[in-house]
Amino acid sequence: MSPDAGLAHLDVYLDQVRRNLRGLSEADTAETIAELRSHVLDKVEGDPSPAKVEAAIDALGSPREVARLNLAERTVARMDADRSLLAVPRAIGRLATLSLYGFFAFMVSLIGYAFGAALMLTAVAKPFAPRHVGLWKMPGAPDDFTYTLGVISDAPPAHELLGWWIIPIGLFVGALTLWLTWRFGVFSVRLMAGRRGR
Amino acid sequence: MAMEITGDELGKWESQLRKGGLGLAVLATLWSGRLYGLEILRRLEADAGMSVQEGTIYPLLSRLKADGLVDAEWVQAEAGHPRKYYVLTPSGRRRLKDMAASWTSFAGGLDRLLTPLKGDPA
Repeated sequence: MSPDAGLAHLDVYLDQVRRNLRGLSEADTAETIAELRSHVLDKVEGDPSPAKVEAAIDALGSPREVARLNLAERTVARMDADRSLLAVPRAIGRLATLSLYGFFAFMVSLIGYAFGAALMLTAVAKPFAPRHVGLWKMPGAPDDFTYTLGVISDAPPAHELLGWWIIPIGLFVGALTLWLTWRFGVFSVRLMAGRRGR
Repeated sequence: MAMEITGDELGKWESQLRKGGLGLAVLATLWSGRLYGLEILRRLEADAGMSVQEGTIYPLLSRLKADGLVDAEWVQAEAGHPRKYYVLTPSGRRRLKDMAASWTSFAGGLDRLLTPLKGDPA
């Protein structure tokens, strides 16, 4: 087996890492890949035979794991520089496909932001369509109720619970939900980068 | 009720301890001059007996760089490929001194507390 086969194997490995780094800027990706390549070439000490390259790659970790560590670290560094309401979900989205926890954090964030935004929009819409916006308690099966929140074109003939109170309650609970989801996002990104408590 | 610490729990505790000290250890390897990634790993292993999972060192160096504690530059090496060398920044040197002082004081205190255990069979 020739050194070329070893280098080709290294290229395949680095290509797999690169594919898992999607979401990172081109410059950050190129820097990460160049450093990993340099590491493996140092490790094989001038003998890039397939066996030596394989051993060096094994010591680094699987492409997915190496990508996850690098992506999480660079994502958290960028998030620390910009912790806006948009930067944190963007960071969560970037890490969503790299681990089970990443996917869980993404789903919780999605639901949290959607619920928070729905509450706030409902509160804002109330003055414009007072009879169509509210929180209705609708009778279902005997001794059972369902709750409907939001803007309904044909307001149901059911008990609307909050009246004008939906404005302060919607704004407060909506903002609190958005804030808690944002905090959870910051915590999750730091957790995935192994930086909890720093 | 007395609780026995299992081997697994001891392993977890050791791993947390090493993780906590790794940033300080990596900065310390750079005290005497610039090093590239694999040299840092080898220095950690040879001088401190710290075996670090190789894939974790570059994200850590990237964090130290983002924090302004180290700087990095690519150098065309004699080996025929470029190497990325890391060097402490002035703020990294100050931070390392502060961390080393905290560590020495913490480890010294703990060591005094553990003195009665030495030579005392469990």
